[in-house]
This record gives sequence, structure tokens and C-alpha cells, in this order.
Amino acid sequence: MKNRLPRPRIAFFDMAGCEGCQLAILDCEDIFLDLVDLVEIVQFREAMSETAPRYDIAFVEGSIHREIDADRLRDIRARSHRLVALGGCACHGNVQARANDWAPAENLQRVHGADTAHRVQTDGRYWPLWAHTRVRALHEVVEVDYLLRGCPVDRDEFLHLVKRLLAGSRPTFPAQPVCVECRRHGNECVFLQGETCLGQVTRGGCGAVCIGGGYRCDGCRGLLPDANLASHRQLLRERGLDAEAIDQRYRLFLSGEITDREGTDEQ
Amino acid sequence: MGSYLVERSVFIDWISRLARHEKVYFPLPVSKSSFRFSRVRSRSRLALEDFDDPRQAKPFRASACIPPPVRLLAPDNELLFTFRRDSAGDCHPTPVLDHNRRILAGVRPCDLKAIALMDRFQGDGIADPYYLARRGNTLLIGHDCLQPCDEYCFCEAAGSLSWRQGADIFLTPQPQARLLVEPLTDQGAALLADAGFPACSDVQACRARAAARRPTPFARQFKAPLARVMHAVAESWQSPVWERHAGRCFSCGTCNLVCPTCSCFDVRDDFNVEDPDSGRRTRHRDACMLEDFAEVAGGYNFRKSPAARQRHRVMRKFVYLPQRFGGTGFCVGCGRCGRQCTVAIDIFTIATDLLAGAGEAA
Ligand code: SF4
Ligand code: SF4
Repeated sequence: MKNRLPRPRIAFFDMAGCEGCQLAILDCEDIFLDLVDLVEIVQFREAMSETAPRYDIAFVEGSIHREIDADRLRDIRARSHRLVALGGCACHGNVQARANDWAPAENLQRVHGADTAHRVQTDGRYWPLWAHTRVRALHEVVEVDYLLRGCPVDRDEFLHLVKRLLAGSRPTFPAQPVCVECRRHGNECVFLQGETCLGQVTRGGCGAVCIGGGYRCDGCRGLLPDANLASHRQLLRERGLDAEAIDQRYRLFLSGEITDREGTDEQ
Repeated sequence: MGSYLVERSVFIDWISRLARHEKVYFPLPVSKSSFRFSRVRSRSRLALEDFDDPRQAKPFRASACIPPPVRLLAPDNELLFTFRRDSAGDCHPTPVLDHNRRILAGVRPCDLKAIALMDRFQGDGIADPYYLARRGNTLLIGHDCLQPCDEYCFCEAAGSLSWRQGADIFLTPQPQARLLVEPLTDQGAALLADAGFPACSDVQACRARAAARRPTPFARQFKAPLARVMHAVAESWQSPVWERHAGRCFSCGTCNLVCPTCSCFDVRDDFNVEDPDSGRRTRHRDACMLEDFAEVAGGYNFRKSPAARQRHRVMRKFVYLPQRFGGTGFCVGCGRCGRQCTVAIDIFTIATDLLAGAGEAA
């Protein structure tokens, strides 16, 4: 295969995010050199500084907050054969999508104080703050071919995607809840331990690492397409969480996907 | 084959000695309330049921063993074969069969029955060589139950309570911290041959003593014999009961993945990054309660609703597989699915409701 396939040109870009996903990929160090043998990495700020005009696969990390970021993303899209949303921020807005719960002016006031919020209107140097309007996932701006979910992404899913694309077949990411992986790994259910968890409504693919490590699922990989949220809310209430606590749990990672609130009205 | 009457602690010593040169698995606690069959590395956490106070020694319970022991014979992420592509582009597979000898100790009657059922299932039609290779090299040490596991168990109603077929050795708790140790196969007898256990002079009396110790009825009961329950399920295609039990379902697949008689899987091919002309096929446990399980080419899903999937799961246990394998129910009443479902959807309750519905209709 080495001699049969041209080496695809791969690039990594970052929008608003912590770059942890790129670091998670560098964490493939045991096979990274073999991987680099099969592909040509033309842009990777975490590891190198060259750039190139066209890409076979562009990985874009982070969410879109400003119009200049949206323009940059459109430009990357135009130059890429395949575009992959890399990580929770790029896939569904992640933690920062919480900002969408408030009007921009109110947000500015909360974060930077009333004085700054007003100066945004009058002082040109403050305009970049105003440009922070609505947090968007990549697919709200351009067409996205594949989503690598998680905060950070799972290295095995990354490898799966790259290998499948190299082999000319389709990567598959089943829409299955985290519970599936807990059961496959023989984890004890977090609810049996007397705690609560978002696993039933969250997309798996992470190997249930957080539960395996003694924690719970907070939903970083996004909401399942057919999540039974009504049942899940009821379960959390039965386990003693009040409306506000339930909202907090959902909104940590899922603000971009769950917009109704327990506190205000029912579903 | 001679049987033995042994002090429990002496038997546990023997198990931990055995584990030094054999792969021995035993249900070890993973938390206050759950167990997992794991390799025995030391003596410390091995606990067996006490005759005089069955709850005191904190023994393992079948329903609380998160994955059933049969999963050791068909593990997740199982390597089926490796392959290599030659210069002409043809692929050559090399099957990977696991012939390692292993001993599963502390298998409860419901799980013994489940393994017996899966032996038949996996050997029928296109046999599963991977399962059969492991099974052929696995010894089972069964352990009787004097108390129901918990409120989820219904093993007697499901016809599993006194099951011992398939065990190589069978253990029954006895008074004064002793254990009746019965070899049931030649392999079991050979394993016990130099254990140095004292012989048991009256096996029947020991068995009867244990049977008399059990509460009657043992755990939850259906309101009719099992055959009538199975008939009621078979006749229930249009029943409103399915919808009633589906409303809170998450389609999380837990009830399948913890069931000792669920066996569906998916396979995955992967090439090696360090040598792209070679690769491997692995097998992963699948679950018919998952939303995408019945999705076929073109995106059509022939069991789109949770109710339809639940009906399939229950029908498979009480109707489809029994039809194929001569009438034995494939639900062994271990109670795992009810215990581990976070919204308490319980196959026992579903079957009970279907039975009640059948009564009303008649
Ligand atoms: S375990 Fe419960 S919630 Fe999960 S699929 Fe089964 S019945 Fe539904
Ligand atoms: S259906 Fe439930 S109770 Fe029956 S054997 Fe499977 S896990 Fe046990």
C-alpha cells in the first residue's frame, strides 16, 4: 500500500479552542512516525510551521466566534478535499457555547464589566470584543465531512479516520450511547454507585474513559440524535437533582445542542 | 466419581493455589455492590456463600456480576484473524483461535444454564469456531444458590435454579462452614484428584440439606408455569404492553450487553500503520436495543421504535430461540438486565404484564 497510494496532504488548523485535541493527536507518538510516513503533514502549528495552498484532509479544531474566523474557515474549506471537525468545540460548540445563553451585550457586561460593555459601542479599540457574537460549530458555517468528537478527541478514533481515508473506505462512527462502552468494558454503572451520569444521552466512541477512570460522563461528545431527554431529566430528578442542577449538568458541554431549560419550562 | 466434604477455607486455599499455575477466574468485588469475573491473583477477596448465614460472608451474586461469565468465552474486541496482502493484491487471513486453558470458578446455576444454551447456539448451523475453541478448553466450577441474589432474580421461575449441566465441578454450601464438592466430569475429577479433600459419605443427604435451606418460593415467580408465559409472549405481537415499557427506554443496549444469552456482534477491519499491507479483523459486542442495530443499506431501519426493539429482545428470549432449540427458554432469570437498566425496565415485569394481558383477552 505504501507504494500504491499517494501520500495525502494533511493540515491542522485551530479556531477557538485549547489546542488540546492537537496535543491528543501528538500523543499517538508510538506510531506517529509510521503515520507520518503514510501522509504528508503540511500544516501543524503545534508541531511545525510550514503551510501549503491545498489540502487533502484539513482538520479544524475549535469553534467559530468572529466573522474573520468564519471567513478563514470558508477559505480552508475551499482549499480542502475533506474537512474534519476536530474535537467537541468544532463539532458542537462545546463549553464555550454556554455563552449563547445570553445576549452579547449582557455577556460583555458579565465578563468585562458594564463600563467595557458600553465602550464597545464607542471605542474602536474595543470592537474586537463586540465581534464575539454567537458561538458556532463548524458545520454551521461550512460543510463538514467528518466529526471527531470529544474533549479531547480520542486517538483511536483519529487513527480510525485516517486509516479508513487512506484505505479509500468510509470511516464509521456509530451513534451509540456511552453506556455501550461501559458495558463492553464491564464498568459498573455510575447510577448503581449512587451517582448520576449523562452517558445515556451522550454519543460514545470514547471508550468510556471518564467512567473507567472513576468519574462520570458529562456529555463532552455531544447529544445522541435520538436521546430520550424527557426520560433522562426525570431520572436525574428521581436521583435528587433539582432543576438548576440539571440545567448546569446539561449546559456544561451540551449548550449548543440542548437549548430548552429544566428551570423554565418542560421540554 | 467420589465427592468431597471440605472446609470452605481449605477449598479457597486450594483455588488460590490452583491459580498459581492455571488461569483461574472468580467473581471478585469491584465495588460495594458489584462483581466481575477476574483472574485470581491472591486469596484475599475470594468469598463463598455460608450455609448458616448466606448473606454474611458477602458472597458474589449472579445478578451483581456486571458482565456474565460467558463473556469470557466471547470477549469484546476479540481478534478473529490477521491478514496480509501479497504483491498480487490478494489477502491471506490467519485465524487466531484461543486454545488457552482456563477455569471459571463460582459460576451460578443461571450462568451454567446460559453457557449450556450458548454451547448449543454457537455449535448450531454455522458454528462459531472462536467460541468453541475457548469453550473446549474451559473448565467450569459451579456453585449452588441457597438465597436469591436480590429483588431482580427470578431463576426458579425461568427454570435455572437447580441447573448443573455443563459444570465440571459443582459446589454446594454445607453447615459449619463446609462445602460439598462434586466432580461431574472426568476433567473435574482429575482436577480434584490430588487436592487431598476428605471424602463425603452421604452426597444425597448433603444435597437435600442444602435444598431444604432454600426459601420457597425461591425469588420472583410468574403467575403461571413458564410454558404459559412463553405462549403469552408468543401471542403478544400487537400488545400495548411493548409501548408501555418503552417510554422511558434510552436504547442504551445495556440489557443486551449484560445478558448471558445475548450474542450479537459487529466486526471491524483495520490495517496496521507500521505495515499497511497487513491488518486484523476484530469482533465487538452489539445490541439489538440500539437505535441503529436494524439499520440496513439505504438507511432503512426495520425496528425504528424502542417498543419494536424491546419486543424483539423479549421474543428472542421467550419465543424465537426456544422454537429453534426445542422449547427451553433463553432467558435464564439472572436478573442482570433489570438490575442494570437505569429506568428499571425489567423483562420479568414485561413477561408478567403480557401474561396478564393474555388472561384478559381470553
Ligand atoms: S437497559 Fe433499559 S434503558 Fe437501556 S436499552 Fe435496555 S431497557 Fe432500554
Ligand atoms: S434477559 Fe435479563 S434476566 Fe434473562 S438471562 Fe438475559 S439478562 Fe438475565
